Amino acid sequence: MYDLVIRNGRVVDGSGMPAYNADIALNGNRIAKIGRIAEKGRKEIDAEGKVVSPGFIDPHTHFDAQLLWDGYAKPALSHGVTTIVPGNCSLSLAPLRAEFRTKLVGMFNQIEEMPLKAFKEGVVWDWETFSEYITRIRKGLAINVAPLVGHSVIRLWVMGEAAMERTATPEEIAEMQGVLRECLDAGAIGLSTSYVDMDEKLQPVPSRYADAAEVEAFASVLGEYGRILQIVPEFYDADLTIARLDQLAEISLKYGIPTTFSPLFVNADNVDAVDRVMRRVDEQFARGARVWPQVQTRPIDISFCFAVPSLLFIRLPGWYRIMRFGTPDQIVAAFKDPATREKLVAESAVYNALWPNLRLRLVQTEANQKYIGMTVGEIAAARGTTPIDVMIDLSIEEHLDAHFLAADMGHNSDERVGALLKHPRVHIGASDGGAHILSFSTYGDTGFLFAHYVRELNAMSIESAVKKITSETAAIWGIPDRGLLQQGYIADIVIFDPQTINRGEEKYVQDVPGDGSRYVRDAMGVDTVIVGGGVAWTAVAGYNAETRGEILPGQVQYTRTLVPA
Amino acid sequence: MSATELSTVRKSILPKGGDTWQSIAARCLSGTPETEAVSQLQSWNLHVFMRASGAAGSMRGTNPILPSDVIFIESPRA
Repeated sequence: MYDLVIRNGRVVDGSGMPAYNADIALNGNRIAKIGRIAEKGRKEIDAEGKVVSPGFIDPHTHFDAQLLWDGYAKPALSHGVTTIVPGNCSLSLAPLRAEFRTKLVGMFNQIEEMPLKAFKEGVVWDWETFSEYITRIRKGLAINVAPLVGHSVIRLWVMGEAAMERTATPEEIAEMQGVLRECLDAGAIGLSTSYVDMDEKLQPVPSRYADAAEVEAFASVLGEYGRILQIVPEFYDADLTIARLDQLAEISLKYGIPTTFSPLFVNADNVDAVDRVMRRVDEQFARGARVWPQVQTRPIDISFCFAVPSLLFIRLPGWYRIMRFGTPDQIVAAFKDPATREKLVAESAVYNALWPNLRLRLVQTEANQKYIGMTVGEIAAARGTTPIDVMIDLSIEEHLDAHFLAADMGHNSDERVGALLKHPRVHIGASDGGAHILSFSTYGDTGFLFAHYVRELNAMSIESAVKKITSETAAIWGIPDRGLLQQGYIADIVIFDPQTINRGEEKYVQDVPGDGSRYVRDAMGVDTVIVGGGVAWTAVAGYNAETRGEILPGQVQYTRTLVPA
Repeated sequence: MSATELSTVRKSILPKGGDTWQSIAARCLSGTPETEAVSQLQSWNLHVFMRASGAAGSMRGTNPILPSDVIFIESPRA
């Protein structure tokens, strides 16, 4: 008797090969048999009319903090994501000395828009080393976690305050290499670094004070383990992105490691830029380098209120500084001050084409409920004022609790994004799961891939789409035994309805520690999610209390050893 | 494909420790008068030139160049 048998499903096995009808039997955490299965299972699932595929792997997330209070990484798991990669963009929560906790929380708040209060009320700081952090999150883990270690935090660990001021000495580089080895031994899947991010004081993050030699020193360690390097390039400029991917290509070739950079967006003002970057990617792959660009499936939508800093205002320094450093009362006071307001309105003029199209999502007062769902331009017409004044006035009236949506900000060309997503040298990812929680929902990208690019546009086959987010991702990241439905593989499995899988509407929920809120999307059309052979979530019963998530690739079982000739 | 077969892209360098506009100009644009060379570098690298200087008291001081920067040593290609 098997532990679990999934019957009558349409198997899309992650290889890209045509789907086929079969049953799948599981024993323990592995796939025991695929075919027509006569034996009974202790538990059985009827997948008639459903697709049975490997669990999806999300390679670009920032669930580092959420995993401390939510081992399911909700709602990612319910969307069919069975493995997540946190620790991107040079930021992980370990290794971290106690004296730099406030600093790192500030960086997470600034870069990933994680509320300070969530850290304060949701995190018991009982780790310093990477190994201790892994031990900490392993408890109650329902989703698999393949964690990157962040370059910036390794610098802080070894160099202290100097990490934010200067290049490292040879001795410090050697020490940092040792720390990286400890992290890799403890289960880190690779290293992340950033060339763009700013800290909570709007100063460059520590990784940006590293010279190329330091990055190469890390790469040499990654080469010892065959592990990946992830970077955030200067993605706003094609020439800079190309220079970075050339740097990555040299590293990849020299040390024999995979590398990935994210994000790569299609925007109306950089259509040619994406083509140029992809031509270079193709050339570098032709040389034998591995430089995987990550492309997200969803268009860019940004929600904001003025109580917290928003990415949307990052190029408006007057606005951004007020949002970044002001208390709610100070921000309201600034909006009420005629001189300050005049300066802000003048600065905002560069986006005058944008403001009227914003849509009001949420307010608290009864008087303003009538405007919900209207564009700022429509509200301005109704009030006899300008769109920017509407934003300011509503924010004052709501004591900053007026929420606006900037929809379709980019990456919304079906033709061009669709072509990118199916490109053989594009890695689907960059969801940013767990981050920017008050700017947009980072969940449901996989559902959107199937609903929009497979079902609605027919831009990809379902087999290709599944392959892109399962076996290809596992292969790129060096995750063994996952990403395929094959006998002997780990049983991370999703059962979904190909006719209805989608992402739900974005909604505002209050489920973040410290009475915090975030935008999420429910899964649609996903029936059952299995992690390590155990049912982790079903549409009927929700999340299962039995948890089988693992740290991937896990503690090092073997490392390269030189064999004497 | 070998490195020599890569298509031509805009030339750039990764700075050495302590590099300034002047030191990069001297090394990469040696045939151009320093003032002009520095001015050219700054105009080709607005992502660095327009960056705010370091925090008060920081070692970086007024030099905006970070050790991790990409510095272009020619104008954008048409």
